[in-house]
Amino acid sequence: MESTRLWEPRVLIVTGKGGVGKSSVAAALALAAVRRGRGRPGRTCLVEIEGRQTFSRMFDTRPWDFTEREFRPGLFGMSIDPEASLSEYLDLFYGARRLSKLVVGSTMVDFATTAAPGLKDVLLVGKVKEMERRRDPDGRFHYDRIILDAPPTGRIVNFLRAPEATTELVNVGPVRQQAQTVVDMLLDGRRTHLQLVTLLEEMPIAETVDSVHALRSLGVTVGPVVVNRVMPARFDEEGAATLADGLGPTQVAGMVGRGGLALDPAAAAALRETGLRHLRRLALQERMRRELAARVDLPTLELPYVAGDDFGHRELSVLADAILRATDPGR
Amino acid sequence: MTVTAAPGVRPTPAVPARAAQATARPRDLTAVVRGRRLIVCTGSGGVGKTTTAAALALGAARRGRRTVVLTIDPARRLAQSLGLRALDNSPRPVRGVEGLHAMQLDMKRTFDDVVERYAPDPARAARIRSNRFYEQLSSSLAGTQEYMAMEKLHGLHVAGEWDCIVVDTPPTRHALDFLDAPRRLTDFLEGRLLKVFLAPGLAAGKTLGRAVGLGTGLFMRAASRITGSQVLDDLGGFFQAFEGMYDGFKRRAQSVYGLLQEPGSAFVVIAGPEVPALREARFFLRRLQHEGMPTAGVVVNRTTPPPDPALAGLDRGAVAAAAARLDGGVAERTTAQLLRLHLDRVDVVAREQRTIAAALRGLDPPALVQVPLMDSDIHDLGGLAAVGRYLYQDG
Ligand SMILES: Nc1ncnc2c1ncn2[C@@H]1O[C@H](COP(=O)(O)OP(=O)(O)OP(=O)(O)O)[C@@H](O)[C@H]1O
Ligand SMILES: [Mg+2]
Repeated sequence: MESTRLWEPRVLIVTGKGGVGKSSVAAALALAAVRRGRGRPGRTCLVEIEGRQTFSRMFDTRPWDFTEREFRPGLFGMSIDPEASLSEYLDLFYGARRLSKLVVGSTMVDFATTAAPGLKDVLLVGKVKEMERRRDPDGRFHYDRIILDAPPTGRIVNFLRAPEATTELVNVGPVRQQAQTVVDMLLDGRRTHLQLVTLLEEMPIAETVDSVHALRSLGVTVGPVVVNRVMPARFDEEGAATLADGLGPTQVAGMVGRGGLALDPAAAAALRETGLRHLRRLALQERMRRELAARVDLPTLELPYVAGDDFGHRELSVLADAILRATDPGR
Repeated sequence: MTVTAAPGVRPTPAVPARAAQATARPRDLTAVVRGRRLIVCTGSGGVGKTTTAAALALGAARRGRRTVVLTIDPARRLAQSLGLRALDNSPRPVRGVEGLHAMQLDMKRTFDDVVERYAPDPARAARIRSNRFYEQLSSSLAGTQEYMAMEKLHGLHVAGEWDCIVVDTPPTRHALDFLDAPRRLTDFLEGRLLKVFLAPGLAAGKTLGRAVGLGTGLFMRAASRITGSQVLDDLGGFFQAFEGMYDGFKRRAQSVYGLLQEPGSAFVVIAGPEVPALREARFFLRRLQHEGMPTAGVVVNRTTPPPDPALAGLDRGAVAAAAARLDGGVAERTTAQLLRLHLDRVDVVAREQRTIAAALRGLDPPALVQVPLMDSDIHDLGGLAAVGRYLYQDG
């Protein structure tokens, strides 16, 4: 299965239509990355950039901020904000000179990011790049994997184009340099993949098709498409066929009776209809699966719909297992 | 086991049209599509705002009202929903529905039009439009889209040719952005941020650009180190060219804000049955209350329809026990699966209803409608009409 390609780069930027499960998939990818690396001490970092505290809620940890914290063995999390990123970068660039002290402050960042709107995105991805390049004293990369919960597909192109646009606008200085190295990272398919998340539904698929084109024309590499919330088939093939013709309401009532439960005809018909509805939804899903395959030339990786009151560690674990089954079949 | 009907849930109609008509509740949006002049659909991304907006517009048009639906979504979803190939920046009649028009907001074009219309002279308009900062502002700056939606709304409103305007809102992170972004943009255009730093020695905007270019002051020197001086020159040039136009921007934004508060307007808050979308809806409902905006109701989209009433009397334990006993041939196996499928459905429905009730606790919106997850995707007028049957009674 080609979805093994998923783990090729060290930076995965997760995007998709609003609400399809980008954050859940990003979190599951992070869990999978850690499990995959077991046996060898490694580190994965899950990164949030819009300050929504999605992950601290999912993993039930204290709120995330600019400090990288290990919240599960080998799994780190942080929330990048542009201001902290800028002041850290300026410190590096200028040393601890006066300028950077002066510049630190939200008004300055507000001002600069308004004057050059793409700057904020450069600062955010710039931090990811710093983490990607960081090395330990023994020369090995500090992180094996960095997973970024990125803006939705509607905003992703502007987000990724920002560094390039900034290099056109700003010709000297620290930001220019930062933007250039960020562009280098984003455009290198061995270092970075865009990870699209979609659903087997018409609108998300249409948006995925558009995004693949738009992203590729930016020059970034798009990884296997993650198809989320796939409804598992509840009947085997034979069962589905039986339900579709052989098993009428009377037979259903008879069978249920054998199980020791009396069903009136209306209830038997309704029960059968529940099954037929499920089959109709599966058929729709299958149509969508074919449509996706026909319109996007990328391997796909399907994740099941997971029922649960609140999406937390248990549900994410199920998704992580599904990811590993697809990407590391021999495990 | 029983499924208690939660507010807003309608039994799955066997014959959707007639059944829905018969069971339509007073807490749906019939009065809204019948009488309100402006309907704003809000909610977090991906919950079905566009579909709901289009379905509401269809309902208004079917009542003989001249209706336009303004969508702001770049994914051309409404175009698909309405069977239109392309939407440009002005209303186009929807074929097959008398009185219904649809359009998609083109943010850049709207901004260009506004500049064209309100600049003191053509030379100034040209100067603004060729400014590099303007280019960024008009095509990408967060908040511009929301502001332009308001401009367009203002334009449609003052044109006076519509009985009903339905607005879909941009796919923002927070539903609240729709209310806040225009104010942020007008504050920015007013140059408040800049003035704070440039005020000393700068009386008029005329000298602003030069001052920025010259990099007076510590702050500006630091800023130009970060952004490069070209960026600040562009910014200065922009403000210089824009001088005198802020007031109009602000006035129009305020006028739309006032319009939104009128009783003839209606906010419809849309969510899915999941915790994050409902949490967002709750925030927004409270905010609307706080701002004195007319909340028309909540639509929870794509809920799992409750099981048929014929199954309501079944005891959960008995069903599970029967399923466990059936493991003979294919017919038994399949029947056992049917029983389990039913139990799962009962669980899902109960969970969704718990989540909805918790999110709306203490808020009591005037209308609460649940639109079930349909068996097929919605991409045509038939699909919109099917959604409409849950939103309002047939016209
Ligand atoms: N595989 C799955 N099975 C069931 N529910 C899921 C699955 N993946 C995500 N969800 C649910 O879908 C909802 C949205 O998920 P999530 O917050 O990850 O989406 P998102 O794409 O990050 O949204 P946004 O665009 O708002 O950032 C959540 O309630 C989550 O619990
Ligand atoms: Mg998210």
